Amino acid sequence: MTPDPVPAAGRHAPGGRAARRARRGPRAGFVGPTLWFLLPFVVLVAVWAVIVEVTGVPKRIFPQVDDVALALADMAASGELAEHLGASLYRVLMGSAIAIATGLPFGIALGASPALSAFFSPLLRFSVALAGIAWIPIATLWLGYGDGAVIFIVWNAMFFALAYNTMLGVRRIPTTLLRSARSMGASRWRMFWEVLLPGALPSVVSGLRIGLGYGWRGLVAAEIIASSAGLGYALFLAQKTFSTDVIIASMVIIGVLWLIMDRLLLAPLERRTIERWGMTGGAR
Amino acid sequence: MTATRERGAPAGARPGIRRAPLAKRFWAVLSRNSVFRTLGPFVPVVALWWLVAEAGVFPDAFFVGPDRVVAEIGELLRKGILPGYLSDSLTRLGYGVGFGLLIGLPMGFLTAMSLRVRKAVWPILLFFQAIADIAWLPIVIVWFGFSLTSVTFVIVYTIVFPLMLSVVAGVEQVPGELIRAARSLGAGRIRVFVEVILPGALPAVASGVRTGLGYGWRALVAAEIIVGTSGIGFMMFDARRVGDVSQVFLGMIVLGILWYMLDALILAPFEKATVERWGMVRSMEGDG
Repeated sequence: MTPDPVPAAGRHAPGGRAARRARRGPRAGFVGPTLWFLLPFVVLVAVWAVIVEVTGVPKRIFPQVDDVALALADMAASGELAEHLGASLYRVLMGSAIAIATGLPFGIALGASPALSAFFSPLLRFSVALAGIAWIPIATLWLGYGDGAVIFIVWNAMFFALAYNTMLGVRRIPTTLLRSARSMGASRWRMFWEVLLPGALPSVVSGLRIGLGYGWRGLVAAEIIASSAGLGYALFLAQKTFSTDVIIASMVIIGVLWLIMDRLLLAPLERRTIERWGMTGGAR
Repeated sequence: MTATRERGAPAGARPGIRRAPLAKRFWAVLSRNSVFRTLGPFVPVVALWWLVAEAGVFPDAFFVGPDRVVAEIGELLRKGILPGYLSDSLTRLGYGVGFGLLIGLPMGFLTAMSLRVRKAVWPILLFFQAIADIAWLPIVIVWFGFSLTSVTFVIVYTIVFPLMLSVVAGVEQVPGELIRAARSLGAGRIRVFVEVILPGALPAVASGVRTGLGYGWRALVAAEIIVGTSGIGFMMFDARRVGDVSQVFLGMIVLGILWYMLDALILAPFEKATVERWGMVRSMEGDG
């Protein structure tokens, strides 16, 4: 995910993207839907340009399309874009890695033990309600302004959703599967790796998707409030100087990034794991 | 906690046989009680919190015990700050949710009704949903200043898009046979919409409302921190600036309890009721 495709996509999205796709592999079934997906955006941008042109809204209130494109190009050329993008992506990666490393084992333990899940379920529901943005004041107090606090917020937003969904996923594993694995002499370790983890995987991945959704919002909020780099910070800076063109450019980047993460990474992953789960279900 | 109570009761008294089952039966009754099952786990957690605070593991400026938070609640209630901020936050949420539902529901159904519109609007919906709501706050502040309108705009935005996506998904879930059956029985377009599509899509709409409100709640807190005029989010961040940890803790607890109540008492039952109704539609489908 290098930063340069993003400004390109913002300026002449349809031709550039479709052409690149076509070059990569001439799959006729792929180009058509992509074009269909992009066409509404072309219309939207055209409407935007016409409305701004006709009503003559001042640039300070709502910038014209080419202003935003210029702002994007400026940010890309000065290296500002790469810096903010890098900071944001680093925080999301760190936060979600820590969330997976902590939330997944915790959720599986909860799902495997009825006593533990009876104890932690109300606590988890309470924490899900609180997770993420509400922790910003205390996170900045504990960890100071900067990377630490933002990563904490991303982790916090993801952890509870991930643990909760993992727990539900483990509980949904048919008892026959658990019993047959145990009666065939599977050790605790093998039970974990070969039954509990793959069985819960579809639910884990959808938990990951929900959690990352919260984490992404948390990231933007935390960056606006408590950091000195990242896309949220770019927004904050631009608001101080009323540079609406930079604000809208940053918003477009935030939207495109999340679309890429959600549609090209998480949604296919979810589909794959559900297919895999179907397989294990069939083996039963 | 379980172990000590079960073992402790018979050991303290005479080792009579009738006592042990009584204690056990008491525990069994208690653990079936839904209030105890919900609130029970909080008791050891608060106790642990208190212990950690009393033991002085963390410095006072970073971590305070529950006693200090309770004292702070009393203080803020007496001064009238807490009720004032609370009603500010709830008013904003109320405005946001109200306008969000007013805009999101009709737009969602309009989008869902025509296949062509759906196909054209879907990518744009996904994109606007992808721009995190908080990211709108800076430009909204440029447009409306640091005002109630800005906060409301962001909450409305947060609620409208998940809601529209759920409405479209819900309408798509309604089985085509049901619509065709209603049509062939002579129902007009409006009756098909009111009596088949609307109730059929309701469960998805209910879960959309729940998701949207969840996002809206978080957006409210962030918006209050950034816009910073009043409300619970503002109170927490202001307290953080001064270094008053107990108020930050207090704010988090109030936010958690409020959302828990909203979710457990209103949203979850609403969702459950509509899903049960959908079950009715399902069984009808099975008959036909």
